[in-house]
Amino acid sequence: MMPRLSLTLSILAALLVPAAAAAVFFHAPVEQTMGVVQKIFYFHLALALSAFLSFAVACVSGILYLLRRERRFDVAGAASVEIGVVFTTLVLITGSLWGRSIWNTWWTWDPRLTTSLILWLIYASYLILRSAVEEEGRRATFCAVIAVAGFLDVPIVFLSARMFRSIHPTIITSDSVGLEPPMVRTLLLCLVAFLVLWAVLFRLRCSLLRNEARVRDLQFELER
Amino acid sequence: MPTTSADAPFLTVEGVRKAYGGVEALRGVSFTLPRGEFLCLFGPNGAGKSTLLKILSTLLPQSAGRVRVAGFDLEENSAAFRARLGVVSHQSYLYHDLTALENLEFYAGLYAVADPRGTALALLEQAGLYERRHSPAAEFSRGMLQRLSIARALVNDPSLLLLDEPYTGLDEHAANRLRKQLELLRDQERTIVMVTHNLRRGLESATRLGILSRGRLCCMERRGSMTPEAFEALYFDHLERM
Amino acid sequence: MTTLNQIGFLVRKDLRIELRKRESLISMAFFGVLVLVTLSIAVGGGRRVPPETGAGILWVAALFSGVLGLGRVFARERENGCVAALLVSPMNPGSLYAAKALVNLTLMVASQIVLVPVFFALFGQGLAGGLAAVVLPLLLLDVAFSSAGTLLSAVAAGTRRNEVLLPILLFPLLLPVVVLGVKASGAALQGKAGGGLGAVEPLAAFCVIYSVAGYFLFPFAAREV
Repeated sequence: MMPRLSLTLSILAALLVPAAAAAVFFHAPVEQTMGVVQKIFYFHLALALSAFLSFAVACVSGILYLLRRERRFDVAGAASVEIGVVFTTLVLITGSLWGRSIWNTWWTWDPRLTTSLILWLIYASYLILRSAVEEEGRRATFCAVIAVAGFLDVPIVFLSARMFRSIHPTIITSDSVGLEPPMVRTLLLCLVAFLVLWAVLFRLRCSLLRNEARVRDLQFELER
Repeated sequence: MPTTSADAPFLTVEGVRKAYGGVEALRGVSFTLPRGEFLCLFGPNGAGKSTLLKILSTLLPQSAGRVRVAGFDLEENSAAFRARLGVVSHQSYLYHDLTALENLEFYAGLYAVADPRGTALALLEQAGLYERRHSPAAEFSRGMLQRLSIARALVNDPSLLLLDEPYTGLDEHAANRLRKQLELLRDQERTIVMVTHNLRRGLESATRLGILSRGRLCCMERRGSMTPEAFEALYFDHLERM
Repeated sequence: MTTLNQIGFLVRKDLRIELRKRESLISMAFFGVLVLVTLSIAVGGGRRVPPETGAGILWVAALFSGVLGLGRVFARERENGCVAALLVSPMNPGSLYAAKALVNLTLMVASQIVLVPVFFALFGQGLAGGLAAVVLPLLLLDVAFSSAGTLLSAVAAGTRRNEVLLPILLFPLLLPVVVLGVKASGAALQGKAGGGLGAVEPLAAFCVIYSVAGYFLFPFAAREV
C-alpha cells in the first residue's frame, strides 16, 4: 500500500504535469523572434531547477549520513542523485533541441549548458560507483563522500563555464523578468508541477530502495 | 593516566550495540576483563566478532554503549586509548617494500617512541628476526611475517592487544610458535582479546572464553572452570540452536 | 607528535619506497611522454598548433600521467591493511590525507620536469612565452589534482575496480580545472601578459575548497577498510 502522502502527491502530479503542458501550448503566447520553439524553455528551466535541487539534497543527505550513519540518509542521497541525473539528461536534450533551431547547432559551449553537462558527468560517475560497491555500509560512505565532493564543485564549474562566451539568453536578471505575464504564469505552473513530480519520484525511489535493503536484511538474518 | 587497582576491570565493555538499517550486528555486548587476562571470543561467521573488534580498535563507531580501557573512554579519549592499543590481524599491516627494521622503525616513530631504532632492534631480537632485519618484508614466509606483525603491534608497548584471526594461513610449526609468543605476552600482564573460529587454538592459551552468537555474548567462562571437551560441547550446542 | 611532524614522517616513508621501487615516477613520465607523442602524431606531426590547443595537449598529458601515479598512492596503504594500522595509531587521520596529497604532488611535479621539455620540443614552434608561461598554471593543476585526487583515491581504492573507477570519478570533478587551466596557459602561450589571470582565482579557489574538504572527508573514506 502506498502511504497517504505519496498517494496525494502522485494524484497532484498527475493533474499538474498535464496542466503545465496545456498551459505551455494554449496559455503562453508564441514568442516573437524565436517562435514556437521557445515553448521548450518552460520545461527546460523547471527541469534544470529540480535537477539542481536533487544535487543539493544529495549533498545534505551525504553530510547527514557521515555524521549519523543511518540508512535513510544513504537512501535519500541515492534517490535524489538518480532523479537528478535523469532530469539533467532531459535538460541537456531540451537545451540541445532549442539550440538546434535557434543557434543552428546541437551543442554549444554555453556556460549554463556546460555546467549542466559537467554536473551530469559528476553524478553519473556517482551512479557508476554505487553499482561497483557491494557492501552496503561502505557503499553508503563512499557515495556520501562523492555527493558532498561533487556539490562543492558547483561554484567552480559555474565560474569556469563563464570562460566560454555565452549565447544563452538571460531571461531572468536581478531587476527584471523579461517575460509577458502569461509566460510568467506558465513558467510558475511548470515549476510547481515539476517540483511535485520530483517529490513523487523521490518518495517512490526512497521506498523502493528501502524495501530492497529490508529484503537483504531479512536474507542476512536468515543466513546467520 | 588514571590508575586502576589490581582487581578493578581493565577493559570494560558496556551495552555495545551496532545497528545498520534493520540488521543489528551487535545487540548489546557487555563484559569486563581484569588486567592480564586473555579472552578468546569464538563464534561463527556473521556473529559480530569482527564488528566488535573493529569497535574496540576505534575503526568503527558503535551505535550505543561504552568502552573503557584503564579508565580511558574510547570515544571521549580516543587518542589516549589508541596510544595504549596494539592490533594484530591476519593481514600483516607491513609495507612489503620496506625492510623488517624500517617497518618497525616507521611504526615506532608513528607512536613517538623515544628511541625508535633501539625499540625496533629489541623487538626484532625477541621475534627471532634480528638476522633478517635488512630483508624486505616481501621476502618473508607467512610465519615470519606473522612474527614481525606481532612485533609491530608491540612498538608502543601496548597494555591492550587485539588479535583478529591470527592463526589464519599459518602452518603447524608457525602456529605453535605463535602460541608460545601469545602466552608470553599474556604472562607479561598484557590484556588480550582474540577473535577466532579456530576452537583448538583458542582454547590453548586463553584464560577466559566467550561465545558470540548473532550479535550477543551468550557465554563467558573462566578457562579453568570447564574442560575443553565441555566447552566444545557448549559451543556446538550454541551453533546448532541458531 | 605534532601534525606537521606526522605529515613529514609519512611523506618520508612514501618517498623512500618510491625511491627504492620507482613504481610510479618512471611510468608516469613515460606515459605522459607517450600521450604527447601520440597527440603530436594525431594532429599531423610537426604541424603548428594554436596556443590554446597546445595548452590543452599539455594538460591532457599531465592529467593522464597524473592519474597513473595517483592510483598507487593510496592503494599501497591498503595492500596489507596498513591503513588500518595507521588509523588505530594515535595519528590524526587528516595528516594521512595531507601526506598522501603531498606525495602525489611531488610525483606529479617530478614527472612534469620530463614532460614539459618534451612538450616544447614537439609543439614549441610558434608558441610564445616559453617555459615560464606554463609553470604557474601547471603547478595549480598539480595542487588541484592532488587535493581532489587524494580524496577520491581513498574511495576508489576501497572498491574492487580501483584503476577503472579512479579516472571515472576524478575527471568529471576536474573538468572545470581543465577549462580554467587551458584558458590561463593558452593566454600565456599566446604571449599575452596577464591574459589568463582571470582563471587563476577560481583555480586557487578549487585548490582551497578541495584541500579543506579532503582533510575532513578523507578519514571517513579511509576508515572503510
